[in-house]
Amino acid sequence: MTGTAHDGFVIETRGLSKRYGRKIAIDCLDIAIPAGSIHAIVGANGAGKSTLFRILLGFLPATAGEARILGRDSRYLTPSDRERIGFVNEEHTLPGWMTVAEVTAMQRRHYARWSQPAFDEVIGHYNVEATQKVGQLSRGERAGFNLALSLAQRPELLVLDEPTLGLDVVAKRAFLETLMHSNAAEGCTVIYCSHQMEEVERVADNLIILERGALRNMSSPDEFRSRVSHWVADIPFRGPDPRLVPGLLDEQRIDGVYHYLVLDQGEAFVEFLRACGARDVHRLPVSLDRAINGFLSRQHAVPAAA
Amino acid sequence: MARTKALPIQIVTGDPRPIGRQIVDAVRMRIATGELEPGAQLPSVRGLAQQLTINPNTVAKAYAELTAEGWLEARQGLGLYVAPPRQRLSAGERDRRMDEAIQAFVHEVVALDYPPERAMARLDKALAVLGRKSA
Repeated sequence: MTGTAHDGFVIETRGLSKRYGRKIAIDCLDIAIPAGSIHAIVGANGAGKSTLFRILLGFLPATAGEARILGRDSRYLTPSDRERIGFVNEEHTLPGWMTVAEVTAMQRRHYARWSQPAFDEVIGHYNVEATQKVGQLSRGERAGFNLALSLAQRPELLVLDEPTLGLDVVAKRAFLETLMHSNAAEGCTVIYCSHQMEEVERVADNLIILERGALRNMSSPDEFRSRVSHWVADIPFRGPDPRLVPGLLDEQRIDGVYHYLVLDQGEAFVEFLRACGARDVHRLPVSLDRAINGFLSRQHAVPAAA
Repeated sequence: MARTKALPIQIVTGDPRPIGRQIVDAVRMRIATGELEPGAQLPSVRGLAQQLTINPNTVAKAYAELTAEGWLEARQGLGLYVAPPRQRLSAGERDRRMDEAIQAFVHEVVALDYPPERAMARLDKALAVLGRKSA
């Protein structure tokens, strides 16, 4: 395809920073997201995800650094660049006073690459009538309609910001199914922001973790999971000072037994625990959501007054 | 001519085992118990992904692992089938893996402080499903 992202990256930032007054939302971020497959972005509230998208889509100027989307500087996006980018936000903001048919006709006029079969395929998963007013649709129907509009645009890049927030299980399933299995979504690079680990585990080829405006992980979910390990140690006296525990994400003492969630620690961690007086040491497997949550809540791992 | 049957497996999210691992385990278990017989066809990558609402790449990776281990075989242009049974590992490797499995099991039992006799009885029952095929 002509004019695709240079170097095969759909999104690329270099030294990107954004401050709101004294608060740093994006902190010298270097990120390069390759074309193809589904990339999940997770991060605590305020990690900088929404700010990043606003900058990438050219709605917000950066304080410093570079941002490129589909190979183009985000500050200079043309209408034809925008045609190649689909964006679905959590609110599914669409004019409530227009009918489904009217919104569809409007979008069709805006987008030269509009595909009616793609629209029909996606909307077929939802019980949406052309004559209905958008304001009368349920949240799940509006989400489906929004996804149908975005995919009919035949984007090369589809950015979804918390798209299933507030959807019931049925609507959520329909949404994920369309995203992963419809012909309409084929060949499209998807950026998926979500706080719902269950969805991340189902959809993500690549897991991107942002924290305080900086990139903290970029790998497959399984690879990330294997970086985190959970150790149970029976230490008869006091355990080690948490500040000395290598890679500590989370520490708990349950029924006199110490539980450690640690990052990037191999079998050498056993030696560490033994040196601290541990009698019995076990390693337990970690689920993806526990690994991500442990990683994101690391700041709270060490109580100030320990 | 063998027909594709739906593969009645479930996956759960939030499990310590990655989804791909759960698929590999479930298929191997079904082959080991004879529920999936040699020559049976597996669902397509897309089909199973859709059934489980997961990313097709996850299914593709699980199938690749099962094929590499010799549990499944590809027939050109037709899809994946359960391979005829054969010993896939050398005798030494097989013993080594068995030792590993026993070690892991024993450690768990110790951690649970479970009486060995009851553990044996439960293990016996769990392994009985494997006996069914050869019986």
